Amino acid sequence: MALAMLLKLSLRNVVLYRRRNAFLLIAISFAVGGVTVSNALIRGWQNDMLEMAVANLTGHIKVQAPGFVDDPSLANSLTLALPPILPGDARLYQGWAARIRLPAVVMSERATRGAQLVGIDPQQEAISFYRDLSIQGRGLAGVEDRSLLIGAALADALETKVDRRVVIMVQGADGRTREMGYRVAGIYDAPGELVEKMFIFTGLEALQQRAAGQRPLISELSIVLHEESNRLSVLQAVQEAYPDTDVRDWQALEPQFAELYNIVDSVMLIWFLLTMTALAFGLVNTLIAAVMERVRELGMLRALGMGRGFVVLQVVIESVCIMSIGVALGLLLGVFGVWLLADGIDLTAFSDGLEGWGIRARLVPLLAVEDLVGYGLMSVLIGFIASFFPARRAVKISPLMAMNR
Amino acid sequence: MIAIAWRNLMRNRVRTGLTASGIAFAVFLVSFAMSLQAGSYGLMIDAASRFFMGHGEVVTDAFVDKERFEHTVVGVSALRGRLGDSGALTVTPRVQAFGIVSMGERSYAGMILGMDFATEKAAMDLLNSISSGEVPSRPDQGVIGAALARNLGVGLNDEVVVLGSGKDGTVAAMALTVSAILTTGQAELDRSLLLVPIATMQDAFYLVDEAHRLILIVNQDTDLDASLQAVAARLSGNLVLRTWRDLMPEIEKSIELDKISATIFYAILLVLVTFAVVNTFVMLVYDRTKEFGMLLALGMRPWQIIGQIQLEALLLSLLGVAGGLIAGGLFVSYLADVGIPLPLDDFGGEQITAQMYLGSMDRIYPTLSLLSVSMAPLTMILGTQAASLLSMMRIRRIRPVDALRSE
Repeated sequence: MALAMLLKLSLRNVVLYRRRNAFLLIAISFAVGGVTVSNALIRGWQNDMLEMAVANLTGHIKVQAPGFVDDPSLANSLTLALPPILPGDARLYQGWAARIRLPAVVMSERATRGAQLVGIDPQQEAISFYRDLSIQGRGLAGVEDRSLLIGAALADALETKVDRRVVIMVQGADGRTREMGYRVAGIYDAPGELVEKMFIFTGLEALQQRAAGQRPLISELSIVLHEESNRLSVLQAVQEAYPDTDVRDWQALEPQFAELYNIVDSVMLIWFLLTMTALAFGLVNTLIAAVMERVRELGMLRALGMGRGFVVLQVVIESVCIMSIGVALGLLLGVFGVWLLADGIDLTAFSDGLEGWGIRARLVPLLAVEDLVGYGLMSVLIGFIASFFPARRAVKISPLMAMNR
Repeated sequence: MIAIAWRNLMRNRVRTGLTASGIAFAVFLVSFAMSLQAGSYGLMIDAASRFFMGHGEVVTDAFVDKERFEHTVVGVSALRGRLGDSGALTVTPRVQAFGIVSMGERSYAGMILGMDFATEKAAMDLLNSISSGEVPSRPDQGVIGAALARNLGVGLNDEVVVLGSGKDGTVAAMALTVSAILTTGQAELDRSLLLVPIATMQDAFYLVDEAHRLILIVNQDTDLDASLQAVAARLSGNLVLRTWRDLMPEIEKSIELDKISATIFYAILLVLVTFAVVNTFVMLVYDRTKEFGMLLALGMRPWQIIGQIQLEALLLSLLGVAGGLIAGGLFVSYLADVGIPLPLDDFGGEQITAQMYLGSMDRIYPTLSLLSVSMAPLTMILGTQAASLLSMMRIRRIRPVDALRSE
């Protein structure tokens, strides 16, 4: 009952001093709205990083032969029955792809370069950046396709074209160097030049025939999940399912993206705390003014028998009420801001600097419900903490002092 | 008037203190962050340039168009002298070729880089990335990238054979003993680099006093852009200058992106504090309505009262600005001496700095600049004036009789 009365009193005060509170509400909405939009942009960036890292032939989880990382040759390869038997619920998995990856020397009639020759099943590569490649000429028809798909930057360096021939030198499963002639079926464009220079694709079985002595060897099994949140549990399950192999997740395989990915939450929290500190000065100021304007009222209430605890509670409730209204308006403002930016921010002008930071040329904000709820509640908590100083002032008001004013 | 303004501010010390603290917080944070930017950009450019690419390079226009082996700069010795290889500017030649690096049955493609090890060691940071072994001291020694060494199964003191194509199209061959292994953290470099003494490479690839690039390194105390412009002025014929902006566009674009995001952050922070100031003046006008009514009744004009309040606003903002600048100045001065260590342990960052060629940057030193100490203070002073003026517009509607009756 007493609490209901205090809530009523506090709400009345919020409405009564609406001009003063209006400015405060604008400030809170602006702060919370700004944090919401910037958090959504940072989450969008984080999502880009994850997708780029996973799609970069890495997957969420990768199974390799022990020793492949130190010596990436067919001597360190796996023989797995395909399709693989993946542990747990099949609905966890978006897909998998088995590949051979070999360091290779590529020679055209004009130049020689180093690259990685990747034998793939094009049907399974819907989980990697391969699905988005724009190809001049034609793509690979299937696992038995003996032709080659190379990146535009590598084609430029080799001074070669579609339908020209190149020679590729790799180390075979028997440890001996093999020179293999290939026709270039297609030239692909990827978002980053590094990818174009690094990866050359051919059919998986065709490469097994030529370099692995027709044995069904693979260098890696890449697994993509529907949800990043399941990564650690699935990693453990896959490690148990393939005990004699080297099973790692994308965080271990792409450490530079993992570093960026993992600092995102800290960046968001720091940004939030700085914004809220800037806001807190105005908030505390207004709440103290609210108390000092009502010295007579509060003194009278004390004289009528209201305890100090109730006075404190009234100030706290008022502060939390103002903050809650401001936070609600701010979240609406933020969601509206994100909606306005839904098509993304065009960063093409900075594209040279983006790749290293895992940012795509179009940064699309991503609104996470847990961020809205979490940061909304934290903002209200700031309002609660900010009420400490005005509440301390309020309890110092004695009925005698108030009546004498 | 100043004494009256100060007395009025001190009438409500808590409000004045909180508002001035808000201004001080914004000024401190923005000045510090801008000093950090001012101090780090120059270091970033220098660290990235010294790592591998140099602050600039002189190449032929044909090489810019297509990096073919035959597109060399000729007369390198004379050109080094003409470009002013001195204490202020270091000029060091590099020869590059793609070739096949073999050991036993294993062969991989590598980028063979001929360089002057003594100069590179003194002026550049690349060789600081040697993870084991020593810089070559003999003409038949070389440094190999860690991933290439791993692929080939090569260790220290092993011999590798290099096969390439010389300038005249004939086969170029070298047998080298691995004296060191290089671990830069840059995948592309680690999997392809083989560093060789430049004279050995020129002999093997049939080059006479020729190089593909003349790398330019500008001394830290020298004006970078002016030095590069001076080099450009001395070039003639088919020679062109490429600066760090051309060679590492990712660094410049990253800096631009950082500037934009930081400006948005500063704007939000300053607007928030300005809201707090507006609120303060709205409260102030309400509290002093009776006083304003009395002054109007005594014959003061509204603009005179507004002037008085604007003076109070100025004093208030100066108080906050002084607090923010003193705190910021002391903090930046301290950090300018000791520096901020990189990478920040709690945030990781080793991989990121390596990716952006910044592995050699172990500390950043914030630097106070005219912009960093003036932008936030001026914005806050103007913002406070605007906030106070906005709140005081109400005074034109105050009727002395009503105001004198108000509580």
